[in-house]
Amino acid sequence: MVVNHLRVHWEYLKVALSTAMEYKINFIIQVLAMVFNDVVWIIFWLIFFNRFQNVGGWVLGDMLMLYAIITLSYGLSSVFFGNRNRIAEIVNQGKLDFYLALPKNVLFHVLISRSSFYGLGDVVFGIILAFIVLSLASLSLFLILVLASTSILLSVAILSGSLAFFFGNAEATSRNIFMGTLSLASYPLSVYQGVTKFILLTIIPAGFISGVPVELLKSFNAQWFWLTIGFVVLIFSIATFVFYRGLKKYESGNLMYVRT
Amino acid sequence: MTLTKYFEIGKINFINSFAYTFDLLASSVFVALILFIFVSLWKVVFGGQIMIEGFTISMMLWYLVMTESIVTAQGHVVEEIGEEIKSGQIANYLNKPYNYIFYKYASNIGNGVFRFFLTFLVASIVVLIFLGGITIPLISIIPVLITVFLAITLHFAMMALLGVFAFWFEDAKSMHFIYQKIVFTIGGMLLPLEIFPFWLERISAVLPFSYVAYHPAKLFVNFSFSSFFSVLVFQIIWIAVISLFIFLVFRVCVKKVSVNGG
Repeated sequence: MVVNHLRVHWEYLKVALSTAMEYKINFIIQVLAMVFNDVVWIIFWLIFFNRFQNVGGWVLGDMLMLYAIITLSYGLSSVFFGNRNRIAEIVNQGKLDFYLALPKNVLFHVLISRSSFYGLGDVVFGIILAFIVLSLASLSLFLILVLASTSILLSVAILSGSLAFFFGNAEATSRNIFMGTLSLASYPLSVYQGVTKFILLTIIPAGFISGVPVELLKSFNAQWFWLTIGFVVLIFSIATFVFYRGLKKYESGNLMYVRT
Repeated sequence: MTLTKYFEIGKINFINSFAYTFDLLASSVFVALILFIFVSLWKVVFGGQIMIEGFTISMMLWYLVMTESIVTAQGHVVEEIGEEIKSGQIANYLNKPYNYIFYKYASNIGNGVFRFFLTFLVASIVVLIFLGGITIPLISIIPVLITVFLAITLHFAMMALLGVFAFWFEDAKSMHFIYQKIVFTIGGMLLPLEIFPFWLERISAVLPFSYVAYHPAKLFVNFSFSSFFSVLVFQIIWIAVISLFIFLVFRVCVKKVSVNGG
């Protein structure tokens, strides 16, 4: 069952890669644009920490660690689950019919049937950054935390995309929720205090995407580690539950289209 | 007479933007979130300090309200123009009794002005709630609005230039993306130039990007007539220089456009 799904995933990736390679120059430009984006943010933080050194206990190294985690998780989810931000659109336009008729897990199939290979730029950038700022000893912990972040990002995308089941046209809202969470996660966790910090560790899980992993890499704390893992399991279960709950309300479209 | 038609195009688009208030509100809410993050960030950075590089915390945040509102005021000009030139759709405009670039400008500025005010309003509410207001001299309002208008114009001109270049460099989207990031950083949208190392501050201050974000916003929180006139002059110079480039490049490019059929 699982092997079967992985095989389908692999085939989709191969097709997506060869499609991307069809327009090599465009592909390279897009990858480079993603890398450029990451580099610009690093420059921003270099300038910032050059002037201020310490932001509520966070130093430049912590920020670089945060970017290693966030670019890698974002990149991995773009490459392997490229449809993550198009759930609302697929549902709203009735394009879900295609997936319902096939003998694969619907949610899984939706997520993997597209791949944004320009996310490779983020992946490569994240890996390089990780090698610069991390010691070899923390590499395995880093990888686990990246997987955790990727799962939370995916869960946020599924949850926000599922809004379309309940409210119809939710494409802009869904994208804003995802990008908003990502933006909140792109700043030092130490700038958020009180209620905000609580919200970012519960309802809007931006804290678990980047802040908590960075704190764990700085100084490991078993309690927070297991809390993170527990949170991943919880939010992923909720996301799956909400998606299938919404699916029951799904009214298929009468739109005829050819899927190429 | 010739200018009235562009004024009318702008007016129509300004009124049209009211029809999509909800869509626009969604993007303004995003800016509001960013400002909320900035309020949190700068509160921690300022700590007990009153002044950093000549900025109080409220000057800093209201500076950011201004830069964000200006920079996000316009949509995807680069992609729009790039797409129309590449696809040959531009032929539909070339035989009309107006200049294509002026037409684009008029339709974008109408929308842009509306979005500027909407974003400014939403962002101001966030900063008012989480930080507080700022006192600005009444006399500065009109001059600041003039520089804001010129900033939006300069922003448009640079994006239009890139859009025209898309005729050669296929990927207009990536070009827009890169331009945006340049305005974010050395244009001063995310940080006032004073925070930069000295050499970078000097370079960024004279480049056109800072006349889109940094200079008008600085003027807003720290007004003086002398800096108003200097900003005004440089904005006009940059708009003139970039417009010249647009027309040169556009002429070459229109000659090369070949449109097949209808």
